Amino acid sequence: MTVTDVNVDELVASFPDKVKKNRKRHIVKKNESAGSCPQIEANTRTVPGIITQRGCCYAGCKGVVVGPIKDMISITHGPIGCAYYSWGTRRNKARADDRTPPEQIYSTMCFSTDMQESDIVFGGEKKLAKMIDEVVEIFHPRAINVCSTCPIGLIGDDLGAVAKAAEEKHGIPVIPYNCEGYKGVSQSAGHHIANNQIMEHIIGTGTEELDGKYIVNLLGEYNIGGDGWVIEQLLEEIGYKVNSILTGDSAYVNIRNLHKVHLNLVQCHRSINYIAEMMETKYGTPWLKINFIGIEATIESLRDIAQCFGDEELIARTELVIERELAAVTPELERYRKICRGKTAFSFVGGSRSHHYQYLLRDLGMEVVVAGYEFAHRDDYEGREVIPTIKSDADTKNIPELHLEPDPEMYREPNLHLNMSKEKYDELVASGRLGYYKGMYPDMIDGGIMIDDANHYETEELIEIFKPDLIFTGIKDKYVSHKMGVPSKQMHSYDYSGPYTCFRGAVTFARDIANALSTPAWKMITPPWEQSETKRT
Amino acid sequence: MTDCTVTTRVRQVNENQCHMCMPLGGVVALRGVEHSIALVHGSQGCSTYMRLANVEHFNEPIDIASSSLNEKQTIFGGEANLRKALDNVIRVYQPKVIGIMTSCLAETMGDDIERFIETYKNDREIREIDIIPVSTPSYNGTHTEGFWATTRAVVAYYARPTERHPGINVIVPNISPADIREIKRILDLMGLEYTLLPDYSLTLDRPFGGRYQKIAPGGTSTAGIARMAGAQATIQFGLTCPEPLSPGLFLEQQFGVPLINLPLPIGLDSMDLFVRTLHDLSRRPVPESLVLERGWLCDGMADAHKINAGARPAIYGEPELIYALAKLCMENGSIPAVIASGTQNSGLVGLLQPLLKDALEEPVILEEADFVTIEEAAVRKGANLAIGHSGGRYLTERQGIPGVRVGYPIHDRIGGQRILSVGYTGTLAFLDRFTNTLLEAKHGSYRRLRKEEMLNKKGVSNAKA
Repeated sequence: MTVTDVNVDELVASFPDKVKKNRKRHIVKKNESAGSCPQIEANTRTVPGIITQRGCCYAGCKGVVVGPIKDMISITHGPIGCAYYSWGTRRNKARADDRTPPEQIYSTMCFSTDMQESDIVFGGEKKLAKMIDEVVEIFHPRAINVCSTCPIGLIGDDLGAVAKAAEEKHGIPVIPYNCEGYKGVSQSAGHHIANNQIMEHIIGTGTEELDGKYIVNLLGEYNIGGDGWVIEQLLEEIGYKVNSILTGDSAYVNIRNLHKVHLNLVQCHRSINYIAEMMETKYGTPWLKINFIGIEATIESLRDIAQCFGDEELIARTELVIERELAAVTPELERYRKICRGKTAFSFVGGSRSHHYQYLLRDLGMEVVVAGYEFAHRDDYEGREVIPTIKSDADTKNIPELHLEPDPEMYREPNLHLNMSKEKYDELVASGRLGYYKGMYPDMIDGGIMIDDANHYETEELIEIFKPDLIFTGIKDKYVSHKMGVPSKQMHSYDYSGPYTCFRGAVTFARDIANALSTPAWKMITPPWEQSETKRT
Repeated sequence: MTDCTVTTRVRQVNENQCHMCMPLGGVVALRGVEHSIALVHGSQGCSTYMRLANVEHFNEPIDIASSSLNEKQTIFGGEANLRKALDNVIRVYQPKVIGIMTSCLAETMGDDIERFIETYKNDREIREIDIIPVSTPSYNGTHTEGFWATTRAVVAYYARPTERHPGINVIVPNISPADIREIKRILDLMGLEYTLLPDYSLTLDRPFGGRYQKIAPGGTSTAGIARMAGAQATIQFGLTCPEPLSPGLFLEQQFGVPLINLPLPIGLDSMDLFVRTLHDLSRRPVPESLVLERGWLCDGMADAHKINAGARPAIYGEPELIYALAKLCMENGSIPAVIASGTQNSGLVGLLQPLLKDALEEPVILEEADFVTIEEAAVRKGANLAIGHSGGRYLTERQGIPGVRVGYPIHDRIGGQRILSVGYTGTLAFLDRFTNTLLEAKHGSYRRLRKEEMLNKKGVSNAKA
């Protein structure tokens, strides 16, 4: 079946009528001739019982955003389960450096208040307070995060009050996150809560003067398998100083100084665009959406960053590095391209990655025919221009919005951050580079399917229909695709591979993909005696 | 040995935990019932997280539905969502059995699940589908208790007074699908008719091939579970199972089926006990093939015990498994350095004391332990092997203590579902891994350690391995 023949109705045929209607709104077929993106429903409640792949608010807050901050102790306040589930599952690598010694790294550890029945009945505030005392006594961390799980919201523990008292007692920041799992409709709510608290409590508290002519933050990069390190190294070779990655391999001591940079780079749009936007409002820091997944994408991103500073020397050095890296990776890539060319894939991962990986796969001659997100919003699919038209519902209203004003002391006009004239800056904005993300739709293949919050059932149906060569997804549906005879790549942990970013990462990725596509065992599934029988009939 | 150190937790902080939440064990047990699907009544993160943890361990697709509770339901109750969830699961998955596990959210809200189900079944006129509620708030126990509670709930739901029959019941704790298959093979060898519950040997370890089915075929049939009430006896590998959660005790108290609580058949003594019990129940001779397997195990032990005598393992995980492993270690002359479980109330200490009374060294026994406590004890007692699930990886990473993976959950190695350690054959397979891990460490460090000792004027160092 060619991509254009797919009938969306068939996909959802098994559901009851009401569910069918709901699910159809989450599925959009790319139609090149129709021009702009049709509206897709996203960031709305999942229908109970349809086996969504979505996680919860706590997962987005602790599991994704605050967990990887290496020098903070992140305490999970609640019964024991949730702490375990968010313990190191995303391979966010961290290392010691000149500011953070190895004994100050806690991100690989798991802390829980392990609440028992009596704590649920009588409240868990005292236990939490005592636990913070202990943690401070044992580890002397620079700062502490406290993330709450479902029952906390119900029994009414005042996280804020406990945190404030602890802060006064111990003289270190203790930051509360009311990220109970039932809040919002997916992980996305947790990203937002984490962004708000980091913005309110950490960013802007640093007073150090940073060293460097072109200083950037790399927001929304989680350093899975070392992805962030590869980007950082490349940027520093060209002449940038990376103050902090957020939040892969990040440290509290660096996040404090986030506002001291010239430009924010945004890799994952969904999980971190709040901070990017809020920093622009409060400090005037401009932000640029970049993508370091894929050769072409990396080249474009590097050129865009150089353009933002407009320094001829920087631009020249960028080209030099691009040329050198391309020469280094092209011969090996060519070998894998021969295996990958013409193959199709599904991509269900992340808050921008289903989009990002389309670039890398295109570099290898592959096409993504179905792509989607668990927790994206409409702007991640359709582009940021739809943001003003998104209606906020009861679930979004439950997540507090920070209404920020320009900081009276620290705000500087965005063009001054980049050391350029207002006119030149406006030009950059108008060209769509700064402060903009176009979403996934423009890059989808004609006839391809964009699906939001795909559930288990739909994924299986889509595999039956498209019979893709490879599926990029999380671990929950990985084995479904295996059982259906389609190799898959686990994109939350990279199946213990990586890094996949920039030039050399693309080679590692291509090698993994070529291996997955060409492993002979996949062709040996049917035993020879059954093969001859089929031939006879 | 009378004064082994016994420690339960005194600190508030649980740092690097050794146990997980109740419904996680519950969904594993439920996969052992034919045509069943689990539904977690809670926010959708619970079921997503439980799928993740189980998929990583079993390397199999695992579908767990959720009632997707949101902020609104925390105020108005979760009934409407639960009904919707049931509607959709029934429509798409067509299960015959639905087990509803409660999350800590639902329990804190105080949802009356039993009433919800009754109303739902009446309204929808559902007769063909069994909906079984299990109370599993994670503040009430660990995944171990969740496993037992679910198994007991399933037994209680189906068991009805039945005519007496010569078959037996076999109730297993949270062991690997490979272990279940081995126990079934032994039962078949002994020629016994039996119902094994929960049998997830095929549902959580599917062979490749055939059309993919949304609910994996396999599992204990509900008709079989109903007949458990008439069996001549129940063998339960549940020495550490708390009485209120014990499925075997329920069958004994309600239907008079005698309960024989046995240790997991790991090691010579425990396996002999199992075979002797089967021999007594079946009144059949022990088949020659099993005698051969026993011989190979004895032979393997004879070959390895000199090496194993140098082992000081730290054993951690679920109480039933670590008790069995501690016993096996003692048989081989490996006196455990640490025996630790994340659970409480399993009676582990009382069980271990007679086992360790003649030991030359005193192990540290920990209940309600986290890995920081385990690590501290392991270092203090000179542990040189870490036996258990993936949580112990820090013992290797931080302390250089080599690990042998066994138990649940295992997510940093492949094939958690295939780890075999029961029966004579399984014991030998486990023992070889145990011995070879020791040897590998020895080969890797022997020369260096001897050199250090010789250069150390104070004499023999206390270096490990």
